[in-house]
Amino acid sequence: MTLQEDMTREGHTVPAKTPGKPDVSGKKGRGRRVTLLVALGVALPVLILVAAGSGQVDIPPGQVLGSVLHRLGIPIGDLPTAAQGENALWIVRIPRVLMAAVTGAALGCAGALMQGVFGNPLAEPGVIGVSSGAAVGAAAVITFGLTGLGNWTVVAAAFVCGLLTTLAVYAMARANGRTEVVTLLLTGIAVNAVAGAALGLLMFLSSNDALRSITSWQLGSLAGSTWDAVYVVGPIAVVGCLVAIALGRRLDLLALGERTARHLGVNVERLRFTGIVVIALLTSAAVAFSGIISFVGLVIPHLVRMAVGPGHRVLLPASALGGACLLVVADLVARTAVPYQELPLGVLTAVVGGPFFFWLLRRTRARSGGWG
Amino acid sequence: MSVGIIEGFRRRTRLPGERVSLTAEGVSVLRGGRPVLSGVDLTIEPGEVLALVGPNGAGKSTLLAALCGDVEFTGDVRVDGLPLAEWKPVELAMRRAILTQTHSVSFSFSVEEIVRMGRAPWIGTPLEDEDDEAVYAALEDADVSRFVGRPFPRLSGGEQARVALARVLAQRTPVVLLDEPTAALDVRHQELVFAVTRGLAARGRSIVAVVHDLGLAAAHADRVAVLSDGGLTACGAPEDVLTADLLSEVYGHPIEVIEHPRTGRPLVLPLR
Amino acid sequence: MTGARARRVLSVALVCALAAGCGGRPAAEHAGKAAGGGDCGPATVTGLPDDVDPITPEPKPKLPVTVTGADGEKTTVTDTSRILALNMYGSLAEIVFSLGLGGHVVGRDASTVFASAKDLPLVTTHGHDLSAEAILGLDPTVVLADASIGPAEAITQIRAAGIPVVMVDDEQTLPAVTEHIADVAEALGVPDAGAKLAARVTDGIAEARRTAPEGREPTIAFLYVRGTAGVYLIGGDGAGSDAMIEAIGARDAGSAIGLKGFRPLTSEGLINAAPDVILVMSSGLESVGGVDGLLKLPGVAQTPAGENRRVIDADDGSLLNFGARTGDTIAALAHAVYETCKA
Repeated sequence: MTLQEDMTREGHTVPAKTPGKPDVSGKKGRGRRVTLLVALGVALPVLILVAAGSGQVDIPPGQVLGSVLHRLGIPIGDLPTAAQGENALWIVRIPRVLMAAVTGAALGCAGALMQGVFGNPLAEPGVIGVSSGAAVGAAAVITFGLTGLGNWTVVAAAFVCGLLTTLAVYAMARANGRTEVVTLLLTGIAVNAVAGAALGLLMFLSSNDALRSITSWQLGSLAGSTWDAVYVVGPIAVVGCLVAIALGRRLDLLALGERTARHLGVNVERLRFTGIVVIALLTSAAVAFSGIISFVGLVIPHLVRMAVGPGHRVLLPASALGGACLLVVADLVARTAVPYQELPLGVLTAVVGGPFFFWLLRRTRARSGGWG
Repeated sequence: MSVGIIEGFRRRTRLPGERVSLTAEGVSVLRGGRPVLSGVDLTIEPGEVLALVGPNGAGKSTLLAALCGDVEFTGDVRVDGLPLAEWKPVELAMRRAILTQTHSVSFSFSVEEIVRMGRAPWIGTPLEDEDDEAVYAALEDADVSRFVGRPFPRLSGGEQARVALARVLAQRTPVVLLDEPTAALDVRHQELVFAVTRGLAARGRSIVAVVHDLGLAAAHADRVAVLSDGGLTACGAPEDVLTADLLSEVYGHPIEVIEHPRTGRPLVLPLR
Repeated sequence: MTGARARRVLSVALVCALAAGCGGRPAAEHAGKAAGGGDCGPATVTGLPDDVDPITPEPKPKLPVTVTGADGEKTTVTDTSRILALNMYGSLAEIVFSLGLGGHVVGRDASTVFASAKDLPLVTTHGHDLSAEAILGLDPTVVLADASIGPAEAITQIRAAGIPVVMVDDEQTLPAVTEHIADVAEALGVPDAGAKLAARVTDGIAEARRTAPEGREPTIAFLYVRGTAGVYLIGGDGAGSDAMIEAIGARDAGSAIGLKGFRPLTSEGLINAAPDVILVMSSGLESVGGVDGLLKLPGVAQTPAGENRRVIDADDGSLLNFGARTGDTIAALAHAVYETCKA
C-alpha cells in the first residue's frame, strides 16, 4: 500500500503522479549476472587445460587431460608421449598455469575491492603503494644477497614490506578517525615516490647480476613458478577473495558516500581497514612471487561492471575469475608468442590492457553516461 | 535476499518499537573555533512534521548532523533515551533515516538498486520480508517508478533527489530527518514530498525537515523551529512562530505574514 | 657473492668520489711513453678464433661418476650422450666442445655462437634465463651450469625431473679457467682429456703473456658503454676485464683507482685514471657512434687515450669469456694493443 493510495483513501489531497508502470528489471539483471559467473567458471578450467597443453614440449590438451585423470586414479586417455613430457607437464607447466590463475584471481579481486573501498573507479593496488613497497623489500633482498629463508627470502621480504607500506599509508592518511579518499590517494603517491627512490638506490648499489634480477622482476614474470609457490598464493587468494565477497553488500552501501553508508548502519572505518588488509594481502602475495603485473586489477573490474553493473557481490567473484582467465591467457601468449623468448608479463598486460580499456571506455560512456 | 550466514554473526541487535524518541539537549558545535551551534534544545515528537528554518549559516544542517552523530558536539543527543555512542550503527539505522543535501554515487547503480539499499539495516531481521513491498511503495511515493532500471548518474538533479528520498522512505524508520529535500524540485514534486511527509506523520512517524522555503514550512509543518546564529530562536506552531517581527529580525529583511484566505495558514512574503 | 660486495662498494665509491676531487697524477705525464699508447689511432682486436679447436681423439667417458658441484650438491652422472652446458658467458659449452664432446651437446645458451654450436636449439630466454620447459623438451642426460645463469627455480625443476645438474664455479679469473676445465671434465667422466686441454690453455696463456713488451706497461681502461642512455661503466678489480688486461702485461685502470667490479664512472675519475688505451666491446662502441662518439663522452677526450684516439674494440662474445679459447683471446688482444702501435 503506497502512501498515495493510503492518503487518497483517507481523503487527503495528493498531487497526481506521473503515470507509468514500474518495470521490475531486477530479474533480468540477475539472469545476466548468473550467466557471467557460470561462463567464467566454465571458461577458467578450459583455459587452464588449453594453456597446459601449449608450450615448448609438445603435449596436446588431450594428453594433459589423460595425465590428470591418470593421476587421479582414472586410467582414461593418453599419457604424454614427448620425452620428459610427464615431468615437463607436472614440474614446470602445470604449476605455472595454476600460478597464473591464482595470481590473476588475487589481482582481479584486489582491484575490484580497492575501487569499492575507495569509491573510485581508478583505484588500483599500485596506487596505495603495495606494489612499490613489495618491490623495495624484494630488491633489498636481491641486492644484499640475503638468504635467510633460502629461496623464500625474496618472497617473504616483499610480503612484509608490502603490508607494512599499506598500513603506513593508511595510518598516515587518517585524521580524526576518518580516512578521506583523496588524502589516501595522495599519500599513496608520495609513498610510491619514496619507494621509487629507494628502489633506484638499491639498483645503483647492486651488482650486474642483481640488477638483472631486479629489472626482470619489475617487469613481471611467471617463469620459475613452483608448486611451493602455488601452495602459498593459492590459499591466500582463496581466503582473500572469500573475505572480500563477504564485504560485498557493505561495499555497495559505501558507494552512496561515507556519511550515508554510516547512516545505513555500516561501520565505515572497520570496513575500510578490513578491505585494505585484504587488498595488501592479495597484492603482496601476487607481486612477491611474480613481480609487478599491472592492469589486471584495473581493467577486469571495469569490464565486469560494464557487463553486469557495479553490485559487489557479483563484481568481486567475477573479477577474481576474470583475472584468473586473463592472466592464464596472457602468460600463455608471453611464453609461446615468440619462440624461445619470453615476453615480460607485466608489459604484455599493460600493452594489451591499455588500448583495450580506452576503446571500451569510449563505447560505454556513450551508453551509460559515466564510469560504468 | 539475505546473506544470512555471514551477516548472522551479529551481536544481539535491538529492534526499535513503533515510536522512537529523539532529543537534543544543550547541543553546541564548534567549527574552526567558531561556535556554529550554541546550546540548542530540541525534542522530536512522534506523529509530527517539524520544519527547521533559518537564514544561511544559521546551523540548520549542522543541527541535523549533530542529531545523526556526524559532527563532534558538546551536549546530549539521545535516541530512545540512550546517548548516540551506546547504539550500534545498524541499530541507529533502524531508528532514524537521513536524507543529506548532496546525492553522489560512486558507481553506476540503477535506481532500484539504490532504493533497495535503504533496506540494508533490516537484513537478518524479520522485517526483511517487507523489502520488495517497501521498495515498490517508496518508488511510487517519490514518483520515480518509471526510472527503475535507469543508472542513477544519468538522472537529472531533481530526479536524483527524489530517488534519494525514495531510499530514505524505503528504510521505513520511525524518525526521518530530511536536509533540504525540496531544494532541487519543481513545485509539483515539492508538494509531493510534503504530502508524503504528512502521510508519514499521520502514521505516527517523526519528520524533521530543513527547508529554505518558508512558504512550504508554513503550509505543511506541524511545528516550526527557527534557528539563527547557532541558537534556537523560536519553536512552536507555524502561526505562533512565523510572525513578521520575528522573521524580519532573524532574516535581516522586512517580511510580512498574511493569512491564507482558504486554509488559514500563514503566507510568508518578503516586503516588496 | 654479491653480499658483502655491495656494502664495500658503497664505502669505496664514497671514498673514490672524495679522492677524485682531490688531486691526482697530471694526465700528460704518461702520454706517448707507454707501450701500445701513443698516437696510433684506434684498432680492432682481430684474429679471434670463430670456432673451437677440439682436442683429438674424442675421449671416451668413464661413467658413472659422482661429483660435488659448486653448490655443494652431490650428483651422479651416468650418461653423457645428451649434454647441455649453459652459463652466461658461453664458456661451459666452449669447454665441452673443446674437450671433443661437442657431438653430444643438444642445446645452447645465448652466448654460445661459435660455428660448431650456433645451429643448436636455444634454451634460454631474454638471453640469460633458463627455460626449464625447453630444457626438458631436449631430454638431456646431464646439465652443466653455474651461478651466472638462473633462475634458481629452473635448476630445481630440472633436478626434480630426475636429470643430474652439476653446478660449476663461476669465478672470472685466469687461474679459474683451468679449474673450470677440470671440473667439467670430471663431471663428464673424461679427466684425462681435461688435463690435456688445461695444459694447452695454460701454455697458450703463458705464450701470450710473453708477447707483452717489458717495462713500459700501459694503463688500459675497459669501458662498458651502451647507447646514449649514459650507461658508462668502468671495469675494476674482479670484473674480468682486469684479468685480461693484466694477462697482456698492462695495468688495469679501474683496479688502479680502487674500483671493484663494474662501477659507473665519473668523468673526473676517468681523467684521474689517465688510461693510455681504452678498451671497449665492438657493439658498445657502435652504439655510441664509433670512436668519435666515444670521445664525446665526458672525460674521455681528456685522457691520454682520448687525445691519441687510442681506442681498441673487441668482439663481445670472446673477450670476457674465460673459456677454453682464452689463450687465443689474450694473444689477439696483445697483438691489437702492442703490434698495431710500435712506438
